[in-house]
Amino acid sequence: MQSAIGANYPRRDAEDKLRGRVKFTIDHDSGQMLHVALLRSEVPSGRLIALDLEPARRMLGVRGVISAPDAPGIYGVMVADHPLFVVDEIRYTGEPIAAVAADSLEIAQAAVAAIRVEIEEFAPLFTMAEAVAPGARELHPGWRDYEMLAGEGERDGNISWQSTVVRGDVDGEFARDDVTIVETLYRAGRQNQTPFEPRAVVASYEGGRFVITTSTQFPWSVRSGVARVVGVQPSDVRVIVPTVGGGFGLKFEMSLEPFAALLARETGRSVKFVNSRQEEQQTALCRENAEIRIRSAVTATGEIVGREGIMMMDCGAYSGEQPFLCSMVTHTLFGSYKLGSARLVSQSVYTSTPPTGAFRACCGTYCVAALERHTDEICARMGFDRWEFRRQNVLGDGDLGPTGDTFKGDVLGPMLDRMVELRKRSTGIRSHHDGLLYGTSITVGTWFIFVGPSAATINLNPDGTATLITAGVEIGSGSTMQAIPQIVADVLQIPIGNVTVREADTDSAGYDGGAGGGRSTVSLGAASADAAVDVKRKVLELAADMLEVDAVDLVLENGRVFVDGVPSVSVSIQEVAALAQHTTGPIAGTGAFTGIGNRAVAGCAAGHYIGALDLPVFAVHEADVSVDPDTGHVTVIDYRVVQDVGRAINPRAVYGQIQGGVTQGLGYALHEEITFDDHGRVRQQGFETYRIPLSGDTVPVLVDLFEGAPSFGPLGVKGAGEVPILNVAAAISCAVADAIGRPVFEIPLTPERVLSLIHERPGAGVDLPHVQTDWRTAVIGDVEELLRVAPR
Amino acid sequence: MLIQITVNGETRGVHAPPLMSLGRVLREEFHLTGTKLVCGEGFCGSCQVFLDDEAVNSCLVPIATADGRQVRTIESIAEPRGPLSPVQQALKDADAVQCGMCFPGMIVSITSFLENCPHPSRLDVQAALVGNLCRCTGYERIVDAVVMLGAEG
Repeated sequence: MQSAIGANYPRRDAEDKLRGRVKFTIDHDSGQMLHVALLRSEVPSGRLIALDLEPARRMLGVRGVISAPDAPGIYGVMVADHPLFVVDEIRYTGEPIAAVAADSLEIAQAAVAAIRVEIEEFAPLFTMAEAVAPGARELHPGWRDYEMLAGEGERDGNISWQSTVVRGDVDGEFARDDVTIVETLYRAGRQNQTPFEPRAVVASYEGGRFVITTSTQFPWSVRSGVARVVGVQPSDVRVIVPTVGGGFGLKFEMSLEPFAALLARETGRSVKFVNSRQEEQQTALCRENAEIRIRSAVTATGEIVGREGIMMMDCGAYSGEQPFLCSMVTHTLFGSYKLGSARLVSQSVYTSTPPTGAFRACCGTYCVAALERHTDEICARMGFDRWEFRRQNVLGDGDLGPTGDTFKGDVLGPMLDRMVELRKRSTGIRSHHDGLLYGTSITVGTWFIFVGPSAATINLNPDGTATLITAGVEIGSGSTMQAIPQIVADVLQIPIGNVTVREADTDSAGYDGGAGGGRSTVSLGAASADAAVDVKRKVLELAADMLEVDAVDLVLENGRVFVDGVPSVSVSIQEVAALAQHTTGPIAGTGAFTGIGNRAVAGCAAGHYIGALDLPVFAVHEADVSVDPDTGHVTVIDYRVVQDVGRAINPRAVYGQIQGGVTQGLGYALHEEITFDDHGRVRQQGFETYRIPLSGDTVPVLVDLFEGAPSFGPLGVKGAGEVPILNVAAAISCAVADAIGRPVFEIPLTPERVLSLIHERPGAGVDLPHVQTDWRTAVIGDVEELLRVAPR
Repeated sequence: MLIQITVNGETRGVHAPPLMSLGRVLREEFHLTGTKLVCGEGFCGSCQVFLDDEAVNSCLVPIATADGRQVRTIESIAEPRGPLSPVQQALKDADAVQCGMCFPGMIVSITSFLENCPHPSRLDVQAALVGNLCRCTGYERIVDAVVMLGAEG
């Protein structure tokens, strides 16, 4: 049998998806379900003075109406700051006030319209500049009393979290007389994940438990989140996840599930709740907008002896994922390069806008863009070649990462070398005499695998086939459809078609940390491989009895167990499985996996959920672009990717992830942005105004998969689905800057912005006065203590 | 109102408000959930079906205007137990599918396009897919598959 590893197996779900046969959560409908509509706030900020649900309750066809008293628990990721319904204070336009379940969606919507509310409006704080201005109103007056759910970080007023890094003598390095100091500002807009299946849920209440079928990436977090909000034990919640029609991070947090669950209990009926596209546009947990100041002290020989950064990310009305993602600013904005000394403050800021969240490579996208624009500005100012400066400074084996941990392996350097080779396959920039401006870029980026815990069970069935049971969710990336069954088939030496994959159900599968963070193939893959090894051990033990030999002398290959070197003395795995029915009982194996828990050097990092990376992933991207100086329109001519994948289990599937991720990144870099009107309404209410890339907007991406970097993942694998979007904003920002001969400070690079950059003086750009110029002033809490405990 | 409509060869009367979209009627009355309503505004193409042999966005078709007409959905592009259609097979062979939400409409659109333009160039295909959005794949494999199919046919 050909090895299952490295083979381009097709997706097992492709045919059903092409026939329109796959049932997503939105497709579950018995015809007898109740439908849900939410009363959402139409103002961005205020106090709920009166709420009269009676007009809705009296309507024919209305079966249940609920509001804040029905959902007592306060939820969050790191900080419990988020009630399900408005309790008192309204914090964003679109915030749920009440929910109605009715016989039809139309009745539910009519009932919502009949609810009477009285609101005292407050002046909203839409921007981070407003929210951190001296004397700004606290958007969460009770922030001091919030329960901390994980970790500790400084908080103060509208700063919902702070992470800091201090390593070495930054003041001393910046004061040297042999360094040049370069400073760069960068601003990134909000990007909506826009999975084509909106957030959707079907819930019922059976046997005293909530049974929730939902479109989520993280079933176990829905289980605990619903339990927390509703006020029951997590074991009273069962979460089942059919095929998910795209996630991209949006579905990593609980969303609609508690509304449907509560209404199912309230009405005793099955309840279906699907967000409209307009609701998805208004309330998606977008990739947050952010503002960054980064400054470096660099010697004439190109050594970065000091780096300082001050950044703010907009968490919107509730903190959500952002306190966690503040850690990742450290590893991306201050990643990739050797730094003699470093200090950074990243802050998550409350505003009167919808909460933001996770989106494929999260803050990494704009942090890498800011860092790579900064790197290009260092090169331009000091006369370094862009490739050579990077080749000299990227982290290699034994170098210290931003928080003082030691990196293993030379990865980014050799990847830069491979990019030089890949570039030769490009058609290249064709003409310089057509009036267009041409530019190119070279960028590096560091991201990580959010490893975390996973469990797997494998049943070896009496017919010799295997059933894999995990809480892994198929969100479209193919991990559970391609890579993971390939790993199991490889260990058990059975055809891949003989591995059945059970859909995620928290009642049957053990804990898993969710389909996100590039972790599925690593963590679930490792747990599944571990379970398969357990099955294999039992198979060999039983086969040893059957063949009357010692188990250590046996090998498993091509579905048969035989004595090493004596293939004629053998038994098939099917015969072993069948015999087990009468001897040991059915064979099953369990497996488990978790991260290794790398830590920052003591005193170096504060407010970090992730102090050091367990499993870094690297990417090198280049873009060739043309800019029309009359319109400001950017055209991508060629795009090249060298990606660190550890080991490619299914190379063709990885290429597909890279093409898709780069295209999403092109939308982010060039035209996707969520903005707000004076009422806090998202201006982009649908696909007419929120333009995601079309088929003509992308190019075939040239790819080289870099294998062999250190990884403790199964077979040396690293996740490949998340990282393709990491460097795209960087590659485009740098290429456009190269084309127009002016610095680029922000994304998306809409034609309007590019034109204004072309026509403004060099040095003009974004102005971010609220992002402090002085690191000490920017830090909240005891800054001298941070400096005192920092490693020198 | 009562609407007489032939869906995948079966003629049926349905009661629906005249302005209800064909897409909703297909999903809610006929339980043909292969048709996906993603944007509901005619921009994404995920809900495309054949209406009297013309590919249309079913979210924009008021059911009253479909009275007496023929509708063909993704469920009948290939027989349930029969082989995939050439377009479906080409997309499968290209490993083009990711989340799968856009493909039902994409297949209707491509099938219709190839009937009118059997040997398209890459630019032809990209232009034809301007009304079929995909968030996962970055399109290239879909375009490649259609170009190859045209070259073979």
